Amino acid sequence: MTEGNYQHLYVIMEVEDGKLVPVSLEMLGEARRLVDSFNRKYNLDEKVVAVLLGYELNDISQTLIEHGADFVVYAEHPELMVYRNNIYTKVIGQIAQDKNIAKIISSEDSNFKKPRYMFFGADNIGRHLSSTVLVELESGLASDINKLEINDIKLTHQHKTDGKEVTYEKTLEMYRPDFSGFLWTTILCLDNKNHSIEREYHPQSCSIIPGVFEPIEPDKKRKGQVIEYTTKIDQNDLKVKVLNRQVIKSEVDFDRYRAVVSFGRGIKDAPEENIRLIEELAKSLNAEIGVSLPISKKPFSINQNLSAKYMILERVIGTSGRKISPMLYVAIGISGAMQHVAGMKDSEFVVAVNPDENSPIKDECDIFIKGRMEDVIPKLVEEIKKQSFVIQA
Amino acid sequence: MSELNVAVIIKLEPDFSEGSVSYNPDGTLNRAETKNTLGPHSTIAAHAAFYAKVMYNARISIGTMGPPIAESALQMAQRLSDAEELHLYSDRIFAGADTLATAEVLKTGIEKMQGKMDIVFSGHRASDGETGQTGPQTAWKLGFTFLGNVIDYKIDIQNRTITAKRLVRLQGFSDVVEEIEAPLPVFISIDPSYKPLFNTISQRLAFGKFQKEAKIRAENYKQYLKVFNVQQLGVDPKYVGLPGSPTIVYKVERIPRGKATRQAEVLDGSNPEHIRKAVSKMKEALAAMVIK
Repeated sequence: MTEGNYQHLYVIMEVEDGKLVPVSLEMLGEARRLVDSFNRKYNLDEKVVAVLLGYELNDISQTLIEHGADFVVYAEHPELMVYRNNIYTKVIGQIAQDKNIAKIISSEDSNFKKPRYMFFGADNIGRHLSSTVLVELESGLASDINKLEINDIKLTHQHKTDGKEVTYEKTLEMYRPDFSGFLWTTILCLDNKNHSIEREYHPQSCSIIPGVFEPIEPDKKRKGQVIEYTTKIDQNDLKVKVLNRQVIKSEVDFDRYRAVVSFGRGIKDAPEENIRLIEELAKSLNAEIGVSLPISKKPFSINQNLSAKYMILERVIGTSGRKISPMLYVAIGISGAMQHVAGMKDSEFVVAVNPDENSPIKDECDIFIKGRMEDVIPKLVEEIKKQSFVIQA
Repeated sequence: MSELNVAVIIKLEPDFSEGSVSYNPDGTLNRAETKNTLGPHSTIAAHAAFYAKVMYNARISIGTMGPPIAESALQMAQRLSDAEELHLYSDRIFAGADTLATAEVLKTGIEKMQGKMDIVFSGHRASDGETGQTGPQTAWKLGFTFLGNVIDYKIDIQNRTITAKRLVRLQGFSDVVEEIEAPLPVFISIDPSYKPLFNTISQRLAFGKFQKEAKIRAENYKQYLKVFNVQQLGVDPKYVGLPGSPTIVYKVERIPRGKATRQAEVLDGSNPEHIRKAVSKMKEALAAMVIK
């Protein structure tokens, strides 16, 4: 790799209804921390570049600079007002390969081809957008990342290095929790340094789980530059017409409730009966019902209505679902995988019901009620009635 | 000749239902012991294709990349969609592909299907890989308009257009329901909440008829099945499998158990006094918020 071909970290912002989606600032925060330590480590001066597409979003550029962006590349056009995959993919592809932008960012002529790294949000917009953009840029993409590091990596790989040891410098280690929540897989995006299949793969890119990283404290004095990008719009990329668009509250709205009762695979001995018990408990607490990720995979065949109501992604608490902070969180038959804990750890008060005192949820709760849910829940419900909770709606 | 050609790409996945799934003692999936099945999101994609069969008499083709046993997933999907063509892209060289290299195989396969495709369906994501990237990447390689999170669609056969509803969830922020119109061809990644509706008598009759047909076809699925290796598919081996994958899995490790964030008081669920205590603490927690 020629030094200078690939530089900087580009972060793709998401805006909905004129407002920044929270994952945007979270990604910028992590980008800032990573690039600062990268520049110290390698004695370089690479930049965090926020890429913003939309219309009449001038105020947002300043917010992005305050939250860690060195540069904001702002593509403003009425056709970019709402996200549409085709046109967004094309415009981001253009920006990522634009030498003039790179020249302003690096404040010198360089052989810039593409960004070194690129971040997207791992939600319904960013997941698809990252996929298509990375086909356009012909490079690799890891999804649902919750930890990042940059290191030099020595590697011997049959395909990548033809079995020889090669050091890959400045490699982004992308950590991805698997569906069980217990394993971390580290994904790398690496050039093929094997002569028979030699190829360069940049940017190294990933989608980042919303709610994982903290934005940095906004600093009004931070300096940054807005680069206005004149978008080339090809009519062929505007085939999708948006006829109607409505912002709605989610069907499952945890924010309306002060208590949340969640259940996990622990319901397995009698799934239907146990869900009914959980419904009763939730009712007595005026709580919304959440689930752990494995439940959304419908692991039990139960009554269709119950399955359609509860075993769904919309109810998942955790990195694959919602991050919540109710006043009271009750975890029933949930072991406490990291990916779940990330979604509930900000709750004010946490109660767990679980027969296994060694399950990780014990470290994440204030009260651990040891016992089987079949035995414990009816007693809880009875006691709640006795203590006559006055629950404000 | 049908006026509408529809393809579905599917995947054979671990069966997460109790009785089929097996977990290691440490909570991770035991792949060797876990059975395989047609993935749940692939199932929904097959339903969405069957909707086109019933409503528009579409001709359905299904494609998958996988080991030889993945033909069972094709059979299951045929049973749901009444497909007339089943493609299995199977070669050792395809193994270990990341989403970009998988998309290359699927794109090439779809282009080899009979007829020019008007719609390609994929599931929301695989339940094992869970990246959700393969669908949109295949779409972009095909040069099709990509529509994600589609919960409903209708085709205007004369004008060769589709109108579709999309449900975009931005966790912790808002949901957006969007109605769009686009010319065919399109690539649709179907939302998990999609449910086909058949309202009229004639639709229900067609539904019954094609369901029967699907059953018979699936019993004889081998006669619809074509298996392609790397040469037969005609893809460049450099762009598929491990050689064509920009990304590698570098390491897999247990996620270290974090430091305890809370000091739990352990109560005995069979002790009435403990239950009383737990409930009064819960009450306190909720009361605190009323003052707030």
